[in-house]
Order: sequence, then C-alpha cells, then structure tokens
Amino acid sequence: MKKKLLFMLALVVTLLVGWGATSTTAQAATDNSLARVQKKGTLVMGTSPDYPPYEFQATVHGKSKIVGMDVAVGQKIAKGLGVKLVVKSMSFDSLLVALQTGKVDMVISGMNPTPARKKNVDFTHLYYQGGYSIVVNKSEKGLYKDKDSFKGKTIGAQTGSTMYNESKKQTTDTKVKGMTSVSDLILALQSHKLAGVAMEKPSAQAYVANNKQLAMIPSHFNLSASDTSAAVAFKKGSTSLVTAANKSVDQIRKQDLVNKDYLPAAGKYLKTNTVNTSMWHYWKAFLTGVKYTLIITVCSVFFGFILGVLLSLARMAKGGVIKTALRWLATAYVEFIRGTPMMVQVMFVYFGLGLIVNLPALTSGIIAISLNSGAYIAEYIRGGINSVDDGQTEAARSLGLTNTATLRYVVLPQALKNIWPSLGNEFITLIKDSSIVSIIGVSELIFQSNIVRSDTYRGVAPIAVIMVLYFIMTFTASRILNYFERRMQHD
Amino acid sequence: MTKPIIEVKNLAKDFDGNAVLKDITEQVDPGQVIVVIGPSGSGKSTFLRCLNLLETPTSGQVAFDGQDLTTLDTKRVNELREQMGMVFQGFNLFPNMSVLENIKLAPMKVKGTSDADATKRAHELLQQVNLDDHADAFPSSLSGGQKQRVAIARALAMDPKVMLFDEPTSALDPEMVGEVLNVMKDLANQGMTMVVVTHEMGFAKSVADRIWFMADGYIQENSTPDDFFAHPQTERAQDFLSKILM
Ligand SMILES: Nc1ncnc2c1ncn2[C@@H]1O[C@H](COP(=O)(O)OP(=O)(O)OP(=O)(O)O)[C@@H](O)[C@H]1O
Ligand SMILES: [Mg+2]
Repeated sequence: MKKKLLFMLALVVTLLVGWGATSTTAQAATDNSLARVQKKGTLVMGTSPDYPPYEFQATVHGKSKIVGMDVAVGQKIAKGLGVKLVVKSMSFDSLLVALQTGKVDMVISGMNPTPARKKNVDFTHLYYQGGYSIVVNKSEKGLYKDKDSFKGKTIGAQTGSTMYNESKKQTTDTKVKGMTSVSDLILALQSHKLAGVAMEKPSAQAYVANNKQLAMIPSHFNLSASDTSAAVAFKKGSTSLVTAANKSVDQIRKQDLVNKDYLPAAGKYLKTNTVNTSMWHYWKAFLTGVKYTLIITVCSVFFGFILGVLLSLARMAKGGVIKTALRWLATAYVEFIRGTPMMVQVMFVYFGLGLIVNLPALTSGIIAISLNSGAYIAEYIRGGINSVDDGQTEAARSLGLTNTATLRYVVLPQALKNIWPSLGNEFITLIKDSSIVSIIGVSELIFQSNIVRSDTYRGVAPIAVIMVLYFIMTFTASRILNYFERRMQHD
Repeated sequence: MTKPIIEVKNLAKDFDGNAVLKDITEQVDPGQVIVVIGPSGSGKSTFLRCLNLLETPTSGQVAFDGQDLTTLDTKRVNELREQMGMVFQGFNLFPNMSVLENIKLAPMKVKGTSDADATKRAHELLQQVNLDDHADAFPSSLSGGQKQRVAIARALAMDPKVMLFDEPTSALDPEMVGEVLNVMKDLANQGMTMVVVTHEMGFAKSVADRIWFMADGYIQENSTPDDFFAHPQTERAQDFLSKILM
C-alpha cells in the first residue's frame, strides 16, 4: 500500500514536473512571486505535522492547531513580508507536488535542500542545522551503539526523507523500511517490527522526552551540511520571494532564534500536549473526522448517482452518430475509471486539475470520488434497467408516455428498487474508501486519527477508536438502507 | 359512408430477414369490433403492435384517423398513440404504483390533467371494471383477473378512440376469464372500436363484427363470425378450426 502510494506519487510528480517545466522558464523571466503573495495578503505554508518538534498538532485552548519550530519560522517569514501566514497540512510525500502546482506558496517541513530537490524547487538559506539520531526501545538500548549495530535487523525512516535514503546507502546488511508517518514508525518500533528509527535529533529528543519506553543513540551517519539541515522551499523561479524570505532566515540564523526561542516554545507545547492522552480528550478531532468522512461520502454518492444515471443512459443509447459516439465515450469512461486506482484519481484531480483551477482538497476529494463512484453506479443502474421487464416500457409507451417519461416514472423507480442493495453496498464501501482522500490532507477520519496518534504518541488507541467509529457509521447506514429497502417492497 | 379509423396498406414486417407479416391491407371502421385469430406464431401480436407503432413496420402504411403513422416524427406518434389503448397478455401493470396511481399516471404526465380530475376519472373507471374498492392496493396483491381489469381501466383513462387487446385472457385461470370478457363486452356495447387477438371463440362469435383470420403472414379471411365459423373458405382456416373446435 505505502509502496504503491510512493510509486504513484513519483509518477504524478514526474508527469507534473515535466508538464510544468515549460511554463517555469517563462515564469523566470517575469518573476512576480513576491508581488503576488503581497497582493494576496497571505502566505500559504505546506507542512506535514507529524514531526515534532519541527511541526505537530497540539491542542491549544481545546482546538487542534499546528505548532512547532517550523511554524515559528513560517510566521517570521510572513511577518517579514507583511502578510498573514496560513498553515496547510498534508503528507510529506505530497508537499513538493503541492508547491509545484500552486496549492501552497512555500514548504517548511524540516526539509533538507538536497541536490535532487534543488532541481525542482528553490530553497532559502538554511534556517537550522541539526543531526541524526536513532530512536530505539529503552529495554534494548544496550544492544545498539550507532547505525552499524543493526546488522541483520530492520530500521525505519520516513518515506521520501533524507534519512531514508542515507540509511539505505550507509548501512550494510540492514533492511530499511519506509513509512509515511513517524508515529507509524514509532509504533512499529514499539511492537518490535523495527529495531530502530532514524530521525533528526530534535525529533528524537521530543519522542524520547514524551515516551518513557524509548531511548536514543547517535547515528554516526556521514553527512554533508546540506543533508542535516533544513531550508524553506519555494516554487522554482520565484527569486524575489526567496530573496525576501532570506532576510528573515538570515535573522533567524544570526540571532540563533531556533535554539533560543522556537525549540523551547515547541517543547512546551509537547509537554502540555501529552499530559492528557486519553482518547476522550480528543473527541473533537474524531468528530471532525466523522463529519468530513460523512460529508465526502454523502456528496460523492449523490453526485456519483447523478453521473451514474447519465452514464448508464449514454451507455444504452442507440441510434445516430451522436448517440453512438456518446455510447462509446461513456463506455470508455467507465472502463477507464474502473481500470485505475481511486488513489491515483484523487491525486490526479487534486494536483493535475489543480494546474488549471485551484480546488480545495475537500472539493477535489469529493470530485474525484464522485467521478469514481459514478462509473460503478452506472454499471449497477445499467443492470437495474435491464432487469426491468420490457413489458413495462411497452405498456408505458402504449399509453403515450414519451421515452423520458417512461424512464423517469416507470423504469428507473423499478430499476432503483432492484439495485438498492448494490447501491447500499456502494455507499458503505465509500464510507470506508473515502479514507483515501487523507493523502491530500482532507481531515477525514483516518487523517484525524493520524493526527491524534502523533499528538498523543499512542499508536494503537486511536486506531481502535476509529475502527469503532467506522463500524458505527457503516452499521447505522446499513440499518437505514434496510429500512428503505423494506419500505420499497410492494411486490 | 364513414371514414375508417384504422387503415393498413401493404403492411410488411420482418425480423432480421424472417418475414412475419408479408402483405396486409385491411381497415377498421369506427365502432367495429375486430377479432383476430390464427395459429400461434402467425404474427398476430406483431400485427397489433404495428398498429400503434410499438413495432416499426418494414414497409407499407398504417394510418390512424387519416394520418400515416409511419411518416410522423416521434412526438406526433406519441400523441396518436395515446388515442389507442393497449391491453397485454401479461397485464404489465406498474408494480411500484398503486392501482389508482397506475391509472392516473398517463393522464397526468401526458395530458397534464390535474390530480383531482385524474383521481375522479380513475374512480369512475374502477367502478366500471368493478374494482373501486381496490384503488389503493398494489398490483402484487391482485388476482390475474383483477390485474387485467385494472389494465383495461388504465388504458381507458386516456380516452382512446380504439382499444387493442393482445390475448387479454390467455394468462388467466379459467374462472377469471369471464370477468375480463364481460368488461370487454360492455365496452363493445358502448360502441368502443376494438381490435382483439384472442382464442376465446365464444367471445369472437358473440361480440365480433368481423373475424380476421391470420396465417403465414397474411390475413387469409375477413368475414362475419357466422360465415367464418360456419363456412371457412381457406384450407388454413378449416384446419385451424377443426383443431380448436374439437
Ligand atoms: N422482437 C422480435 N424479434 C425477432 N423475432 C420476433 C420478434 N417478435 C416476434 N418475433 C417472431 O415473429 C413471429 C410472430 O410472432 P408473434 O408474437 O407476432 O406471433 P403470435 O401470432 O402473436 O403468436 P402467439 O399466438 O404465440 O402469441 C414469431 O416467429 C416470433 O418468433
Ligand atoms: Mg402473440
């Protein structure tokens, strides 16, 4: 699953970067990036908030909020530009794509300015110079000294991060496992699926400080300065914006603000944040998740149904050139959608369509899932229409009803009754599958549970909670659907 | 002389090269009751369905009230179709609607009749077919005979000039045949123009003005019931009658 995600992302990124390459050169000539941000009045920062103390979710006055030293850096830059900072969260893998497609103005997420990344985006000067550590279980601390102590074992690192690549390069006989979220890695460590987790030193310190079962050891990776440091990324060619941001970054370095102010402040959040790790404490976060999951599902089934009716009718159109073309188009659409993973469709709508119109993640998610679900519903409806006796159409036509009226009043209601169980299944499947939009940062249930997991440093409890919540939703939905099914039984 | 209400000229119909109707030229006058009989598979249903264009003729003309249906666009065909009620062997009631809704649907959606007027008319028709106490029942709870009477009422709700019946009693248990035939007799007595495909020879003898005997894609005989049953002209008809009248 994770591997597939990574592969897909790589594919989309390559596609989009290749696509964007031509326009980038054009942009460089007329760089209005700074003027654009100042005119807009907001600076949108993309970050992956599961990496304390760089960035993480904290409950501040009962509200979930993204905090950490990177947010402080972002605030400083925004202030320097005279605009308001808006923080947008998404998975680490998606950050650079979001930057290139204009979903965010900058990325601050403990990101190392590696040569490969420099090809695609512009970086500011370094705002922080750290180092790597390896987090291990305290009970096994004696077994390990540094990166070379893991022969025949597996260590983990965040997918797409520098640690991941370096761990692969600089260890021998050691398996390196990548996961998207650091909280998953810690959970894997605690359940002994991993022997150690490589991460940046400040993060390691935060995890060890908050979890008594963990300990840290030095990594002794051989690293260049650019590998162990963090910089702010901007879209390629936005020189004016980078120059402006560098003023703030230079100040941060000169006054050592990260060590003096930002890290201690982040530490405080970590402490207040992890005092109460009861799941009840996070009911609001879960409620938000349930809300968005339901919004996505209900909207997608609704629009998917309308699309499905249209598609199924188009697929059954017979007659002239136009109708034949329509039939072919609808058939091709249905086959194509059913032949590609929903995850890719979600990413394509969010990032791909995002090049043309800037859609919010929630809208993109609903569009993608509706488009997907429409193809499946179309097939159910087609089957449902075929299952209605021809005599029904003949009787209606003999009474003078038009084709459309026949369909609307006679055929579709019966088809709907026949396919109600399948539609119900589709609805329940969507409640579960809508979790896919978590990859583009929609706060549905899975996304929220990941936040709670990184907030509380508890790996399993939030998963158990959402399992129960999903079950309550699907069970209730199936009861309601059954009720309507029974009400439709006249014969 | 009155103008015929239905005129069929050189009607032919084939399904993928299988010629079912070959060359039919007949006419129906207003108020006439025509009973079409013939062996199974001879094309009686196809013929009836060509009259209201549920089946598109391969060649020839079907004129209703002086209008050739085969040359009209879909919209005009729909308009003329509502003037020809049709009753099917398999009832084809809409199972998702109550008896009343079955009857009201077409007047309301096609003619734009108000709900109140359509309801009133539906109750009148239900009284006519002796089913007014079942107005709110759903088709699944009715017997075959009741279903067919509802189907007749439903077709009558459009105030058709002609009623087409395709073996209306063939799917019924014997004890229910009578109640449906009685309704049809009443209709005939009220002067309704009817084209009836049936195997009920008693009905044919007592109600029909003309018998059309159909076989091999042609109307082989067109005569009064008395002539047809007493002196069938063609060998096909003699053969057919000897089989069913045994
Ligand atoms: N839609 C169709 N496609 C192909 N062949 C058809 C179609 N409808 C009817 N036929 C064929 O046309 C022939 C005549 O059928 P039709 O139903 O008109 O006969 P019928 O006289 O009504 O018979 P029955 O007494 O059994 O109802 C049959 O051979 C039938 O198989
Ligand atoms: Mg027949």
